[in-house]
Amino acid sequence: MKEQVISFELNREKVEIYADPALSLLRLLRSRFNLIGTKEGCGRGDCGVCTVLLDGRAVNSCLIPAGKVEGRKVLTIEGVTREGLEKGAKVHPVQQAFIDKGAIQCGFCTPGMIMSAYALLRDKPFPSPEEVREAISGNLCRCSGYKQIEEAILEAAKAITEQEGKW
Amino acid sequence: MSYSVTSSLDRALNVLSESMGQGRVVAGATDLFLKSLSPELVDVSSVPELLGINRDHGSLSIGAGVTHAEAAASPLIRLEAMALAEACRQVGSPQIRNIGTIGGNVVNAAPAADAAVALVALGARAVLIDLGKRQHHAAVEELYADYNLSTVDSSSEILLRFLLDLPARDEGSAFLRFAPRQALSLPLVNAAARVRLKGDAIESVRAVIAPVNPAPTRLYETEKMLLGSWPEDDTWRKVEYTAASEVEVRGSLLRCSAGYRQHLVGVLARRVLKKAVERAVKSRMGGDGS
Amino acid sequence: MDKKREPVSKTARSDAAINQGPEVWAKAAGKALYGVDLHFPGMLYGKILRSPYPHARIKKIDPSGAYAIPGVRAVLTAADIINKPYGIVVEDEQPLAHDRVRYIGDEVAAVAAVDEESAGKALRAIKVDYEPLPAVYDPVEALGEGAIQIHDHFPGNIAWERDMERGDPQRAFAEADLVVENSFSIPSVHPTYLEPVACVTDSDYMNNLTIHTALQSPDVVRVIIAGALDLPLSKVRILGPVMGGGFGGRVYGNLKLYILSSLLSMNAGAPVKMKLTREEEFTVGRPMIAARMKVRMALRNDGTFLARESEIITDNGAYSAQAPWVSKTLSERNDSVYRIPNIKTRARLAYTNKVPTAQYRAYGNQAANYAYESLIDQAAEKLGIDPLQLRLKNCTRSGDVTVHGLKITSCALSECLQEAAKRIGWNNRTEGRGYGISAGIHASGSLVADRSFRGASARAVLELDGRVSVFTGEQDYGQGTYGAFVRIAARVLGLDPQLLSIYCRDSLVTPHSQGALANRQTTIGGRAVQLAAEELKKVVEEAASENAGEQFKMEGGHLVSISGKEMGLDEVARYHHYRTSGLTLNGEGRYVPPPADYDETSYGNISVTYSFAAHAAEVEVDQDTGSLIVRRIVAVHDSGQIVNPQAACGQVFGGVTQGLGFGCYEGYIFDRGAVASSSLADYRIPTALDVSCIDYHFIETDDAAGPFGAKGLGEVVQVPVPGAIANAVADATGARVTDLPITAEKIFQAMSEGGCG
Repeated sequence: MKEQVISFELNREKVEIYADPALSLLRLLRSRFNLIGTKEGCGRGDCGVCTVLLDGRAVNSCLIPAGKVEGRKVLTIEGVTREGLEKGAKVHPVQQAFIDKGAIQCGFCTPGMIMSAYALLRDKPFPSPEEVREAISGNLCRCSGYKQIEEAILEAAKAITEQEGKW
Repeated sequence: MSYSVTSSLDRALNVLSESMGQGRVVAGATDLFLKSLSPELVDVSSVPELLGINRDHGSLSIGAGVTHAEAAASPLIRLEAMALAEACRQVGSPQIRNIGTIGGNVVNAAPAADAAVALVALGARAVLIDLGKRQHHAAVEELYADYNLSTVDSSSEILLRFLLDLPARDEGSAFLRFAPRQALSLPLVNAAARVRLKGDAIESVRAVIAPVNPAPTRLYETEKMLLGSWPEDDTWRKVEYTAASEVEVRGSLLRCSAGYRQHLVGVLARRVLKKAVERAVKSRMGGDGS
Repeated sequence: MDKKREPVSKTARSDAAINQGPEVWAKAAGKALYGVDLHFPGMLYGKILRSPYPHARIKKIDPSGAYAIPGVRAVLTAADIINKPYGIVVEDEQPLAHDRVRYIGDEVAAVAAVDEESAGKALRAIKVDYEPLPAVYDPVEALGEGAIQIHDHFPGNIAWERDMERGDPQRAFAEADLVVENSFSIPSVHPTYLEPVACVTDSDYMNNLTIHTALQSPDVVRVIIAGALDLPLSKVRILGPVMGGGFGGRVYGNLKLYILSSLLSMNAGAPVKMKLTREEEFTVGRPMIAARMKVRMALRNDGTFLARESEIITDNGAYSAQAPWVSKTLSERNDSVYRIPNIKTRARLAYTNKVPTAQYRAYGNQAANYAYESLIDQAAEKLGIDPLQLRLKNCTRSGDVTVHGLKITSCALSECLQEAAKRIGWNNRTEGRGYGISAGIHASGSLVADRSFRGASARAVLELDGRVSVFTGEQDYGQGTYGAFVRIAARVLGLDPQLLSIYCRDSLVTPHSQGALANRQTTIGGRAVQLAAEELKKVVEEAASENAGEQFKMEGGHLVSISGKEMGLDEVARYHHYRTSGLTLNGEGRYVPPPADYDETSYGNISVTYSFAAHAAEVEVDQDTGSLIVRRIVAVHDSGQIVNPQAACGQVFGGVTQGLGFGCYEGYIFDRGAVASSSLADYRIPTALDVSCIDYHFIETDDAAGPFGAKGLGEVVQVPVPGAIANAVADATGARVTDLPITAEKIFQAMSEGGCG
């Protein structure tokens, strides 16, 4: 498609870019914004590795046309990392919990997983294990069997609650 | 050649008019990369006329732009159209549910689309608007031209809303799907039913099964069998048999054999009808029907 | 070994970044660079033209149209390159097809262009004239009379075969009280790492080639690539970015991709990036062999195993790669789980016109395990003996030399079986559920990947600031290998693990290694690290003593003299640095295990030591639909002393879940030579909602071979899962599914045929 101006909020900053609106959001982020934290696993919405937040909801960025983000808010793993740094931590509590609980092996599913977890905890600060599994049911992981990831998310919920209001 | 986002229904219709058949509306747009593109796309996912879930003069009115996630979580849909909430809850994955819309589900015309199956069972009617701003209604099951082909022409009409009759106290609905995996899976078979009781009998019933035809398919023989009496154990056995026999099933290399699918049709029809009846009973007794 | 010493894991601080390696921060933050993330100035994009036919003669290739496409910088066909035959076991492949294509996807031409779109246009402009030939897809048919010959040098389409006999099986069968038999079928499966294979190759004008790609065995691949490109080894360097999963699929990765990318780079004079899409991972990436097994067992009435006979046909696909080795392991490994004195196996590997195969975690062991463990349960049922007791009666024990000559120096299999049974509730069952058990073995530090290169080496270096760097050629893609190495070296040196770093993934500076396969990295690689640290400790003490003129010893990370003087590690490092004008204190560790002493019938000890496992499964089957829920899996492992418990835990959850996938969800579906299951929607791995509740336990035996008694865990975790599930399903329904994956339809079919139990 012909390139057009797309204005949106990316990781809490207003941005404007001239791009093909039919390009996927995934490709837009990776090749136009150099944000390579969001990964491509299948390009068809079958694996969740490309998960980002659109207006606070977890979506597969490989299925979102760039034109769709006009006027909306996109949050990627880089935005979560920066939030951690800006609030004086090394990383965001969700990321810290993933590290502490051994929930990261090869790491390829990790950014997408963390985005799904982040969205869940914004929506449900005290999720049950079932709700956690449901929230990550669209994120495939081949290394870990999901158990340590589930524990990490529950741990992150606790940590965020304990740091009342900071996150 | 552009992709425009608008929250004005009039503007969307104008773009379609001006594109003279070369334009198309999109909502969730998740199918964009899997199908071919039109030169002119109008994203209507934030048009108010396509959003919202509310009661409207004895009907439940659901915007075509409502996402699966919104529908699944909606207290109103859970109360008045449980089959739809259940159908929306199990589609794909949280990510798919957050962006895929109910309207998109119907217009994509996939034979086993979950929300569409529930809508047909619930007797939903689609409200469409054309370029002349005239609205007309159509039963959801009438919107299928062929496999994966809708009668809705996205270059000249927009699906606005779905209307369902609000259930009476003696009503219940249910939805079931059978899939090879608990997430990220297309179903092998899905089934939905809406039942109304009167006294000690089933007064009306809609039972729907998919994918056996381009459109979600009513099990007319099975429904006929259930009308006018109270279902006993024996009835349920007959339901299973009748449902399985009244549809023609195809097998597929990647999913399952025809014989097994046929068997599943029978089992799921029985289970979903039984559940709908149980919910109707509970609702009658003042329960929440869930 | 000192039995009173504390296991390494208990003394070390539980710091996740140590366990999973320092990259874990980058992975969490989204900053880790995988192959596909790499970007270089002037980089081109490479694409491959592939055969649409499963079998055809190439009459003519006309690439002229591709040159005319703007942005195209290199176009290669077989005529343009050296096209040396290469391979892993047999050299039956060439970089590009020149006269024949043998599977849908076979590589015919390659292009490099300034962007992907131009590269795609260039491919479409290449004209190839094919003459389709008859194709054969079924391995049994391929081995049969009159089947079309796929390779000129392999008559009868036999890529490999083996007839093996131990003891006197004929007599054993004749004398048996019971003979049970069955046929099993296991499909091809894909490792399904989440990061599709990608590489960037960069050749400078002097043909010094750098290949950026993540590999489990980069040093081995380097040798093959240098050979295929006819380059001296010193001109080929492999730099590893972070790896998005391997599981055996990245041992050699996609050699074709690296070789073609290198050729394009050499031709175009620019870096070339190439990658596979997810669909290509399924259609031209390489799965593990499929297998058909006809097996029978002879037993006495008291349950003693007398003999086992197997007829195995494995499916090679169009080219061999590692398939002969995988077939070999598949055909023999499980014979050492139990004491079976008489064995007869006939195994043949058949060429077919389908996608070539490679390897997957556990190397076929899990496939055969499913068949053999199912058969054992059949025997148990016929004899009226509890399947657990039948296994306990016959299982391998410490000190055994198995029927193939494996020397078992430590083995807690019997304890594993009992513990697994206890935890699943073997004698305390829930109504309406089925229970199954299975036992497995795997080599820990296999010596047969390369008989002449069977050990490992490592280098430990004292940096000027007193920290220690360990140079290793072993590969960690999240299994915790580097974490284990850090803990091992830290323990030897008495240092805080935080003070150690791992240098890795650069073939220019790291020692050559066989890589992450054969369950060898902890046992063999870790041992070399231990020796390197010990050597470093020695030279540090010597240097300190020389520096001060009195004897110094290193205790608890501190250098202390007899007279109580202290010297910082940084001080002794600088001392050595200045007196030698720039050198550092190094410790080299060389671990050369005793050779695999096997004869031409492959009888002999093939591994440093062996890991064992027993898994038990509890399942529920919906009688109306056959739908299966695997409620619980208990995994009990003998992997010696566990050095990195957090990572070990991750291995169990991950490996058992892969086993669940193998047993219940995964399997290639072909449509006349084409891979029909070519997406993650159709090739299904378990999601978070599909996983069972997994309970695990380690029985920590003490094996002299591994560092601090450690044995491998990474591969054996998957092995017993499918068998345990199959047995549990049979227990729940009275019906046995004899071909994987165990789907609801198959269970329903088996129940309908055999009646419900």
